[in-house]
Amino acid sequence: MNSFQHYIRTRWRASFRGIGAAVSVLMLVLFAGCDTLDVPDPNAPSPDAVSIQSLVSGVEGAMRADMNVYLQVTGIFGREAYYFEPADPRYTGELYTGPLDPGGFLLTRPWRSRYRTIRNATILLDRAAELEGAERAGVEGFAKAIIGYQLLLNLNYLDDNGIKIEFSEDVSTPFVGKQQAFNEIERYFNESLSALGNAGGAFSFDLTDEGFGNFNTPATFAQFVRGLQARVALYQEKWQAALDALAGSFVDADAPMELGVYHAYSTGSGDRLNPVFEVPTAPSVKLRAHPDVKTFAEPGDQRYLSKVLDRTDDPGFNPSPPAANGLVSPLVLTLAGSSTDPFPILRNEELLLIRAEANFRLGNMAAAEADVNAVRAAAGLAPVTLSPDNALDQILHERMYSLLVEGHRWIDLRRTGRLDTLPTDAVGTPPQPGKIFDKWPRPIDEIPEGG
Amino acid sequence: MSNSYMYSRLGLWLILVVFTAGIAQAQTITGTVTAKDNNDPIPGVNVSVKGTTIGTTTDVDGRYSIDLPPDGRTLVFSFIGFRTLEVDVPPGETTLDVQMEEDVLGLDEVVVTGLATSVKRTNLANAVGTISSKELVPAPAQTLERALSGKISGLSVSQNTGAPGGGINVNLRGTSTITGSTQPLYVVDGVIVDNTAIQSGLDLVTAATGAGSSTPQGQPTNRIADINPNDIESIEVLKGASAAAIYGSKATNGVVIITTKRGTRGRTSLNITQQVGFTRILHKIGTRRFTPETAEALVPGGAQLLQQNGQLDYEELLYGQTGLLNETTASLSGGDKDTRYFVSALAQTEEGIVKNTGYDKYSGRVNVEQRFGSRLKVNVSTQLVRSRSDRSITGNENQGATTLGFAYAFTPPFIDLRPGPDGKFPPGPAGSNPLHTIEVFKNREIVNRGIAAVNLTYNLYRSENQNLDFIAQGGGDFYSAEHKVVSPPELQFEQAKDLPGVSIAGETTSLSTNLNLNLVHFYGTPSNVTFTTTGGYQYESRNFNNVLVQAQGLVVTQENIDQSSSLNGFQTRLIQRERGVFFQEEVNIQEKYFVTAGFRADASSRIGDTSKFFFYPKAAASVRLTAFDFWKSEFFRELKLRAAFGRTGNLPQAQAKFTSLQAENIAGLGGVLVPTLAGNPDIEPEITQEIEVGLDATFWQDKATLEFTYYTQDITELILQNNLPPSSGFSNKFINAGDMTTQGIEVSLGLTPVRSSKVRWTTRVNFFKSWSEITRLDVDPFETGGFALSLGQFQIEEGKSPTTIVGLDEAGNKVAFGDENPDFQVGWVNDLTLGNFSLSFLWDWKQGGDVINLGLFLTDLGGISPDLDTPEGQARAAGVGGTGRYVEDGTYLKLREVSLTYNFSREQVRRWFNGQVQNLSLGVSGRNLLMFTDYSGYDPEVSQFGNIPIGRSVDVLPFPSARFVYFKLSLGF
Repeated sequence: MNSFQHYIRTRWRASFRGIGAAVSVLMLVLFAGCDTLDVPDPNAPSPDAVSIQSLVSGVEGAMRADMNVYLQVTGIFGREAYYFEPADPRYTGELYTGPLDPGGFLLTRPWRSRYRTIRNATILLDRAAELEGAERAGVEGFAKAIIGYQLLLNLNYLDDNGIKIEFSEDVSTPFVGKQQAFNEIERYFNESLSALGNAGGAFSFDLTDEGFGNFNTPATFAQFVRGLQARVALYQEKWQAALDALAGSFVDADAPMELGVYHAYSTGSGDRLNPVFEVPTAPSVKLRAHPDVKTFAEPGDQRYLSKVLDRTDDPGFNPSPPAANGLVSPLVLTLAGSSTDPFPILRNEELLLIRAEANFRLGNMAAAEADVNAVRAAAGLAPVTLSPDNALDQILHERMYSLLVEGHRWIDLRRTGRLDTLPTDAVGTPPQPGKIFDKWPRPIDEIPEGG
Repeated sequence: MSNSYMYSRLGLWLILVVFTAGIAQAQTITGTVTAKDNNDPIPGVNVSVKGTTIGTTTDVDGRYSIDLPPDGRTLVFSFIGFRTLEVDVPPGETTLDVQMEEDVLGLDEVVVTGLATSVKRTNLANAVGTISSKELVPAPAQTLERALSGKISGLSVSQNTGAPGGGINVNLRGTSTITGSTQPLYVVDGVIVDNTAIQSGLDLVTAATGAGSSTPQGQPTNRIADINPNDIESIEVLKGASAAAIYGSKATNGVVIITTKRGTRGRTSLNITQQVGFTRILHKIGTRRFTPETAEALVPGGAQLLQQNGQLDYEELLYGQTGLLNETTASLSGGDKDTRYFVSALAQTEEGIVKNTGYDKYSGRVNVEQRFGSRLKVNVSTQLVRSRSDRSITGNENQGATTLGFAYAFTPPFIDLRPGPDGKFPPGPAGSNPLHTIEVFKNREIVNRGIAAVNLTYNLYRSENQNLDFIAQGGGDFYSAEHKVVSPPELQFEQAKDLPGVSIAGETTSLSTNLNLNLVHFYGTPSNVTFTTTGGYQYESRNFNNVLVQAQGLVVTQENIDQSSSLNGFQTRLIQRERGVFFQEEVNIQEKYFVTAGFRADASSRIGDTSKFFFYPKAAASVRLTAFDFWKSEFFRELKLRAAFGRTGNLPQAQAKFTSLQAENIAGLGGVLVPTLAGNPDIEPEITQEIEVGLDATFWQDKATLEFTYYTQDITELILQNNLPPSSGFSNKFINAGDMTTQGIEVSLGLTPVRSSKVRWTTRVNFFKSWSEITRLDVDPFETGGFALSLGQFQIEEGKSPTTIVGLDEAGNKVAFGDENPDFQVGWVNDLTLGNFSLSFLWDWKQGGDVINLGLFLTDLGGISPDLDTPEGQARAAGVGGTGRYVEDGTYLKLREVSLTYNFSREQVRRWFNGQVQNLSLGVSGRNLLMFTDYSGYDPEVSQFGNIPIGRSVDVLPFPSARFVYFKLSLGF
């Protein structure tokens, strides 16, 4: 192109070296003169910037997320409770008739929240790597215990369908079976205990007084972990292992039944409220005790009297509102006295009953009877005599009232093969008998498409 | 092109400074330029010698004087709004008087092609739409976007709601993203202005986001509303990627370049325009006529209520206000050889069709252009604006008929909710009394804003055939927006809460700044080939801070947030920075070929790797067939073929790259918890690569123009929210995981069928359509938008249109029920002059595009839909047709703008006012006067979810649309 060549010839050659470099320098100055583009998140801290304490409290707090759904569902499946929710028909529909929805929130919300807590705990473990010695061991002991406990809750939900243990963004990671899951949970507890053994006399972080008031040092926190170990051993019918674990726990027939570890709640900003509290005398109450709870209650059982308010004679109270879908119960649960009452994770009362069951299974009937009667005495009931024929019935009866709607009865009846003894209940119009479910399906988002 | 090449070119420009070549002087030509229509002198006309940089402008009397070089004999006269004129000066002649003709079809428009360059439309190699000040607001527009409807092919304007103050979607060339920004970039006098839609916190009262959808539904206004349309000299719309590539990673949705007015040299004028008018609801959906039987069936005791109260017209009671409108504008402009200025003021107060709603805007502008000698020119423009909108409470809700629409749907018309003799409002059956709500509910937004732009042009070197300018452009846009939502405790739906009464105080501050430094080199050869080379550097920043405080349990009569029993706070900040370099070469070969190529490379703080520069190249070429000798057609005066290629980007959402820990406090200990959204440190911008080809023609003795464009966009690296397995601890993550293609056709036909000194008719038809398809999806097909599958959602699936509407049929199977993308759109603009009368009108036609009419679903549930006593209505209410029964065709034809003006003749006016007044005109105008549609809701132009890419067309009984009528008196001094 002639004109362009002309242009090049006449003007281009005139440029002298150095100007190009000068312009380059000018551009560089301009670049350097403006602020960096690497702007940190202006709205929230990043995982590597927050304190260990914040992560620990986040883990303690996140354990509470969606526990309301977990307790409602296990209460319904174990026929301890009804949940009459006008805004959602699934509580009195799907949970009785099926099919259980692998994408529904009744499954996915608790499942997701447990793994979210685990994710926070794994970040805590990553950060612990920056620490040294006892401080690091303390953080690891705490984090691993919580991971094990969170996995246990999800395994309780899915049982034979197993859980995932890889915490990966890759959806194709496999589910592991129930036994492998128990092994993994035991591994976390064992590693936690060995870390706690090296964690010195005190943690470098705070746990809430309401939740871990008596278990906030490495030594006492280990008692909590040993108690959880006993629960896991019981579920696997490892009776001696249960007793061994209990020996290191805080089980104590002379201590209050309420001694234990709790979820704490407050009305503070960004906090959560007790998952089961409702004003018991309100015109409508969603969470109710199953009629069987009244039927099987012994007269004078303080556990029943303190945990259930019978509103049969309250004319202003509807025992079967529209949301009940045909179910009837005038029994209001009063497990919590206020919206900020703590909710139990592991209590002395459960540990005593675990010890009783393990001793019974190993033939130590006297030791079993002593623990059962300690629990009954605390409830204002007369002692019973255990025999090989009645012992399991009696222990399960005590567990039902001692641990009412704390997430146990469904799992207890499943592990003892007694789910078929539960009433089916009838829902709908016309009423159709319900089903008793033994586990949740695997969540749909955990399975690769077409898998 | 290598960097060393570029830098040595830059070096060339600098060295050119040291040259000082004298301009050869041979002959001086003088003359006068007048307008052909009325023989008035035209001041400010650019007069130049063709092929050189020699130029001057005409003075107040249209006179000029210019020196001809020895080898130049052709003078070029150009002025905005007039046809460019080239005249050969006969040898020996020293005077040359010329007459210029008005350019009604925009044949000689000049269009921007870079950050600091422009080119004549006849040479342009890509499709750029322009709107002049005259076409922009024949009838007052509450906000700027409303005035763009139908005027440019490929530009689609759709309001979200009829609420006063805006909330309008502007889309260029179809769907280009699924999760990203959809709005074009607005640049006013070189400053990138913020167009954020700020949520008012209304959702905290309506709980609209509580169930089913997490998309905010506060129906916010977007902030481009603050620009005063009367200040605008011209709007250029860079539709395609090849034109917009110079704005890089923010340009996928196109760029709207707004230039505000400057005075004219030598002509001082003061114009005052007063408009008053009224507004009424455009269309009522109507209510079922009840009989005692149907009333009784709906509500036990209904027959008696019907007999006692009759049937009330709740639409009239709620939306029946005749709102008064007022707009006063004044502008002062003028200039001399070195200075041009424009000063304007606007006072606009508008009432809405709902009591206690409305929109006010007060704006002032000062623009000054100052030359210092022959080399330096500084342009400063500033605008200050204050706007206020009161928008009431409409649309979706989940709290108990808090919104007017829900209350309307669930209040049978034979129940009387008007206040009793004691002034007390009776409780409504739906959970609220909407008549009470409109009296006391407050949803107010107040914005104070300042925009300042500076443009400095320094001529580093000038010779006969070369020119080198340094151009620095920069400025800032700052605003503070205050939101106040007050839901007093005495309202029925508040009484039902634990803590009745809500007050929300929102405060937002936003500062956007940008700086462009450019060198522009022009070189013309004697053989009439010109080279324009541009290189530059850009820096852009945004700092946005939104604080929202929600108070619940208000003390009766109080609005302050501390007069309450509970407080919640929310804060969102955005800090964004971009940096880019830009280079462009334009070559004009003898007005026959026009070739341009260039690129922008930029890096952004919103990308995962902030040190990575993304490269946005562009290239375009055009051939003017009519400039060749072989072209003999008398019919075609101009025929140009063009082809262009370009690449642009769309940034990921600001939070996409971050794993932002949330507060998780427990019993007094402050904790943090991982979010459900996992950050993606590798997130990249979406990339749009577009090829467009087109044809521009002028024919029928310059009375007709035709523009045809076909484009195809390949959008890659689509950003999607990927569901993560919950066992990861997260729920989702933004990833680059899909491709999409969007194609479209744009046709624009302009005609001047009648043109005489007394009668002139100019008309333009803009036709456009676009269609899209997902071509790759790395995530599972998913539904987005809407509320639930049974209520209609939008399916994202490979091989399908991204705007496909899906729902459930009667058997519960997922079925496609339509597509929200229109079949085509047409705008028909007309401008008619008959003696002293001028008439303009604009028809806006959208064909197709389905809307999910959940308003009808609600009125069916409430039993008040007008057709419920017909077999069709009964079948629909019984569920026949599944979701599809609420998917309606959104076709409409609207008479968007009409204006009729009488201009008194200048002589007459001068006589009447003793020469004090130059111009006087009277007029009447209207906006949205007529709508023809089969759609059964208020307006098929609707979006419950604001400006989102997919899922706009969901109608949940929004604030109804209104028509506007104005009477105008305009005086020019």
